[in-house]
Amino acid sequence: MKKRTLALLGLVAALAISLAGCTDKAPQDTETPDPTGSTPVAESDIAYIQSKGTLVVGVTDYPPLDYQDESGEWVGFDADMCRAVAEALGVECEFVSINWNNKLMELEGKSIDVIWNGMTLTDEVANGSSPTIGYLSNGQVLVLKAENAAKFEAGELALADFTPAVEAGSSGEKAAAAAGLSCVPVEAQVDALMEVAAGTSDSCVIDTLLANVSTGEGTDYADLVIAADLEVEMDVAACRKGSDLTEFINEQMVTLYENGTTLQLAEQYGIADMVVKPE
Amino acid sequence: MALLEVENIEKHFGRTRVLENISFQLDQGQALAIIGSSGSGKTTLLRCLNFLEKPDSGIIRVQGKPLFDANDPATQREAEIRRKRLHFGMVFQSFNLFPQYTALQNVTLAPELLAKEQGSGPDKAAIAEEGRRLLAQMGLADRADHYPHQLSGGQQQRVAIARALAMHPDILCFDEPTSALDPELTGEVLKVIRSLADQNTTMVIVTHEMAFARDVADQVIFMDGGVIVEQGPPEQVICNPKEERTRQFLSRYAR
Amino acid sequence: MSSTIIQALNSGFVTSIQIFGITLLFSLPLGLLLAVISRSRWAPFRFLMRGQGEDAPRWRKVLAAFRPVKFIVDVVVWVIRGTPLVLQLLVIYYGPGLIFDQNIWGSGYQGRYIAVLAAFVINYTCYFSVIYRGGIESVPVGQREAGEVLGMTKRQIFFKVTLLQMIKRILPPMSNEIITLVKDTSLARVIAVGEIIKAGENFLRQGIITPLFFTGVYFLVFVGILTLFFGYLERRLNYFK
Repeated sequence: MKKRTLALLGLVAALAISLAGCTDKAPQDTETPDPTGSTPVAESDIAYIQSKGTLVVGVTDYPPLDYQDESGEWVGFDADMCRAVAEALGVECEFVSINWNNKLMELEGKSIDVIWNGMTLTDEVANGSSPTIGYLSNGQVLVLKAENAAKFEAGELALADFTPAVEAGSSGEKAAAAAGLSCVPVEAQVDALMEVAAGTSDSCVIDTLLANVSTGEGTDYADLVIAADLEVEMDVAACRKGSDLTEFINEQMVTLYENGTTLQLAEQYGIADMVVKPE
Repeated sequence: MALLEVENIEKHFGRTRVLENISFQLDQGQALAIIGSSGSGKTTLLRCLNFLEKPDSGIIRVQGKPLFDANDPATQREAEIRRKRLHFGMVFQSFNLFPQYTALQNVTLAPELLAKEQGSGPDKAAIAEEGRRLLAQMGLADRADHYPHQLSGGQQQRVAIARALAMHPDILCFDEPTSALDPELTGEVLKVIRSLADQNTTMVIVTHEMAFARDVADQVIFMDGGVIVEQGPPEQVICNPKEERTRQFLSRYAR
Repeated sequence: MSSTIIQALNSGFVTSIQIFGITLLFSLPLGLLLAVISRSRWAPFRFLMRGQGEDAPRWRKVLAAFRPVKFIVDVVVWVIRGTPLVLQLLVIYYGPGLIFDQNIWGSGYQGRYIAVLAAFVINYTCYFSVIYRGGIESVPVGQREAGEVLGMTKRQIFFKVTLLQMIKRILPPMSNEIITLVKDTSLARVIAVGEIIKAGENFLRQGIITPLFFTGVYFLVFVGILTLFFGYLERRLNYFK
């Protein structure tokens, strides 16, 4: 009884700290996951998933990786890859739309079994979960208004002149910091983009993929352009800490790449140039 | 046999003794006036009769039957107290009319609920007719469909009297019925009470109106500090008091 | 705006209204129940003061005055009113899985939806109970006594005398709280329940901003209807004072 009370207090404290920690950068010493510090899953995660017959996948609406078609079915490059893995496991895939801010809590609380949503490998992900090997290269890019992009190209403005909006704790923030820029941390990547459109920030640093689908013709951000590549990173899927599912997915990723399925899917969804050889 | 017998009523609030050794009798058709300064316990006594307060000791009998006996828990059961209350009617200082009901509905609400409970199915027409008759008796025939806030204080108090009469109580209690009224409105209420006395309604009236008590009451009790100091006919207690304390109290009302 | 956008916003709004309606359906009566319970005068240690005077030891007085039911209700109301609804949603939905390793909500959307309803009902029950309690206490005690001396039962007094007067008094604070509830439904998205703001936000990923801002129109219209409704109720109860 006492233990539970303590645990509940701990949860509240952890929530408070994690909220407070959003604006801070993760401490350097946690850059690599500490194998002894992670709590191993008591029994086999694969056995658990097979016993219930479904692999529950945490996703958000993120075309062309995960999105719903007209019939409400989840499709996309990631969704289709995930289905292939579930088939090999002998279970059904169940896609669940989650709040991206809570993705690791969803995983630990067992409301989902895997996150598969074009997730960049960050410290947060490395420390809070068991990430798979990378399957997509997904960089961080600087997005500017067209007029500024022209000046940037002409050399009238330098990279150092910008104070980009970034998603707090994202790899975009890390990339901007690495480039020596001071940032405006906001709640989400889409908010960072809106800052630029509204002129409240002069620029933003977001995922290449998001920048590609959300700017240009046919969007409200038609006057925003990708001005520079800042960093190249890996997208991964992630399981619970200590889960044996990670290794299984890694093996499957290699198999799917080698038998050509991966590339075929990537071409279907128009992201063939982002695929990397899993290793 | 007296209609109402009160024997050795005592009441404490915490350690403060509010009523001590209160005994009196009241005959059918008589009016009893209780006088005394504020805090003398007269309102508490009236509330004890209506079961709004529970005496710590003593017995209350109506028609010889003990309604309340502090030593007999059987007489204190919640369900029965509700029935026993109907022997008494109560008219409050602050009227306490139900604001969401018209004058007539105020009068007919309780009789209708009671009839419904007795399973006979309320004869609403008869109850309404009785209500209108009572309001007419109070001189309010044309105010039956007014809401309390549309009536003057004197009119509200007369509705409250009609409401109490509608339950056909054996004894009608008044708790300073004119104290919350402007002086020019007290007359109409006193007139109604006086006419009730003329019809031999048994009444217990807590009042500060000495002249009224003297004219209407058959019996007067003067209370002070929770005890009965003097009781008897008005000619004796009000016009010719024996006790010094009574004289002192009355001297403040001498005009 | 395209029909797909309107469709998405509509379906999000249906979810918002469902959360709103079901929360009210449960928390309005439960709040009243809690208000009545919180007025419990049950004091199991009252006997300690029996035969004791004003000079009794302090511990006796404190213990004799202790009302456990009221105390528990007060603590619950304090916790619920004292923490943000966002936090309550997170604790209710993730707490069981994180603390006890028992995800009681299952994996599907239904579990999230029920968790949202549970959090909202608990939260609003507490807020409503405080409003109800104020309402009950604001009806003069003379009203109850008038009912008692007329031989009415407690039930009859509550339903025939007190209730309507109470409703009239609590209507303004209630309408405030209920309008707040309309907007609080947007918090459901923190555990990924697709209410209207989330439906609007989803378009941000495709670089389309207007739907998010357009959701305000839905809220304004709905709150406008509620405001008219409460105005009507207040006028209906204006016939007495």
